[in-house]
Amino acid sequence: MSFFEARDLVINFGGVRALDGVSFEVERGQVFTVIGPNGAGKTTIFNVISRIYDPARGQLIFDGEDITRVPPHDIARRGIARTFQNIELFEHATVLENLLLGRHTHRRSRFLEELLCLPRVRALELEHREAVEKVIDFLDLMPYRESLIANLPYGIRKVVEMGRALCAEPRLLLLDEPSSGLSVEETEDMAFWIQDIRELLGVTVLMVEHDMSLVSAVSDRVLALNYGRPIALGTAREVQEHPEVIKAYLGG
Amino acid sequence: MRFVFKTSYRQDMGLFRDGVQLSWYVGLLVLLAVLPLLVPTYLIDISMVFIYGLCGLSLMVLAGYTGLVSLGHAAFLGIGAYAHVYFTQDLGLPWLVSVALAAALTAGAGVLVGLPALRMTGVYLSIATLAFALIIQEVLSHWDSVTGGLRGKAVGKAVILGVSFGGSGAFYFLCLAFLMGGLLLTQNLLRAPTGRAWVAIRDSEIAAQSMGVNLAAYKTIAFAYSAALMGVAGALFAHKVGYLAPDIFTVLLSIQFLLMVVVGGLGSLHGALYGAVFVAMLPVLISGARDSVPGWFGQVFGVFGASAGEAVTLAVDRFVKQPALEPGIFGLILALFILFEPLGIYGRWLKIKLYFSMFPLYKSATFKRQKAYMRSERLR
Repeated sequence: MSFFEARDLVINFGGVRALDGVSFEVERGQVFTVIGPNGAGKTTIFNVISRIYDPARGQLIFDGEDITRVPPHDIARRGIARTFQNIELFEHATVLENLLLGRHTHRRSRFLEELLCLPRVRALELEHREAVEKVIDFLDLMPYRESLIANLPYGIRKVVEMGRALCAEPRLLLLDEPSSGLSVEETEDMAFWIQDIRELLGVTVLMVEHDMSLVSAVSDRVLALNYGRPIALGTAREVQEHPEVIKAYLGG
Repeated sequence: MRFVFKTSYRQDMGLFRDGVQLSWYVGLLVLLAVLPLLVPTYLIDISMVFIYGLCGLSLMVLAGYTGLVSLGHAAFLGIGAYAHVYFTQDLGLPWLVSVALAAALTAGAGVLVGLPALRMTGVYLSIATLAFALIIQEVLSHWDSVTGGLRGKAVGKAVILGVSFGGSGAFYFLCLAFLMGGLLLTQNLLRAPTGRAWVAIRDSEIAAQSMGVNLAAYKTIAFAYSAALMGVAGALFAHKVGYLAPDIFTVLLSIQFLLMVVVGGLGSLHGALYGAVFVAMLPVLISGARDSVPGWFGQVFGVFGASAGEAVTLAVDRFVKQPALEPGIFGLILALFILFEPLGIYGRWLKIKLYFSMFPLYKSATFKRQKAYMRSERLR
């Protein structure tokens, strides 16, 4: 029984079949990468897992449980957190507030308690703060703690978004193009962090990525998609050398 | 620039940043406490500012923090006002019980509006709330047995636990106390998970949902809480105006509330209060201008001869006596603020403060908003 499994996912947007029978399995503790040319359906897989889209067919199994029809906000509570390709941070809030929102699934205070700001709420807030500070420490975000997101450079925002996902203490982390828009140095840092996330925090990572240096550096398994269909599965090297993959990227 | 040296996580949860800030607020409170001695004749007007402050707080939670723009908040004020008067005068309930019930009733109405509104965003939501406000206005005019219909309903003085708050001084402090209570409760929510979830929904629904925020639940809570605040404000408002009639709770009033939060500055409680002061003062300024402005024009144009001056005075006088002038000016101010100072009065104040604290290093680009080119592909 694998940790996370997608079985025969199919999704249509009007006449376009964005995913056409995609199946894959992610083992616990793996870094699993999905690659493919533009429009191959990589992000669509993520949006199906986050339950933003309903698949026309197929199943998602997470840790032995079918999550295909779970409401979108319950996905995070089951231990799946994600980032977005174009960064969806809360722009008019500070880094700290963004990270604290990442703790939302661990909220235990009730509305009335919060309204009166009872001691229990304060104690729980301190717990959240401590968890957040660990993530800040882990990702070296100390200098930016009080900064508004709107004032931060793109590379830092990318890290903050990953931090927000980590604050949820996920068991499966979905990273949608973690290196897009980053400089070469920032991409290298990102590779180290992904390795640390797997090795130090023990989080399984499923990611979509274009940068092959990052893909080869961190991935255990790579799945290549084209037009919503899986065309190759294996290690980074195997997939890169696969004739179908070369054809998909270069044409011919 | 002043930096606060933090030694404990608790400091970030406090109501005030540090002792300096606290002392400013204490100073303001002392000023408000001695105000009745300084300007006894204006107390009723200042109580209105406090009531508007509660209304501003209410809409700020919904529009400023959760990002749901309501064009029908006057309806909640109306429900609260009528319910309170009905509970105290027709049913004879104690004052505090009645206010609590009125708040609960408006919260219920807020949930009723909120539920269908969950499927709507942006302008469609605003239109739905507008429709709700129109329906409520009709109900208020036709449900004679409860509301007194078009004849309206006289409102007695506020009597709490045998103590009369009918005097202008006592009513002033009553409104102040309710405003401070409202501010405290709202600030409590905003620094807790609920408030963070609201801000998250405002800034990115999709990310909020992916982080586990139940959009429907938190939007409904925002509607209910906002409506409840409005209900409490309505109870005070009823005593302030002394006579309830359905034509008080018009769409124009809802737009004034919106003006309040936009002019004050969306996304800050300070903004709600600045906006309340502004909106409460504006009609006073306009009516003052009605009397004096035609004369000024007359004097200016008087240089072309006495008859020209008189003609201009008459023409301007006719213009400023137009009944639609006030809403027109409200609309104009709203549009100008959105165009030139989207952060409102509070945003302007922050800029001025930063200018002086950073002097001479202030950059004019500090508050420039980056264009988010990538947002085009945003999921809905």
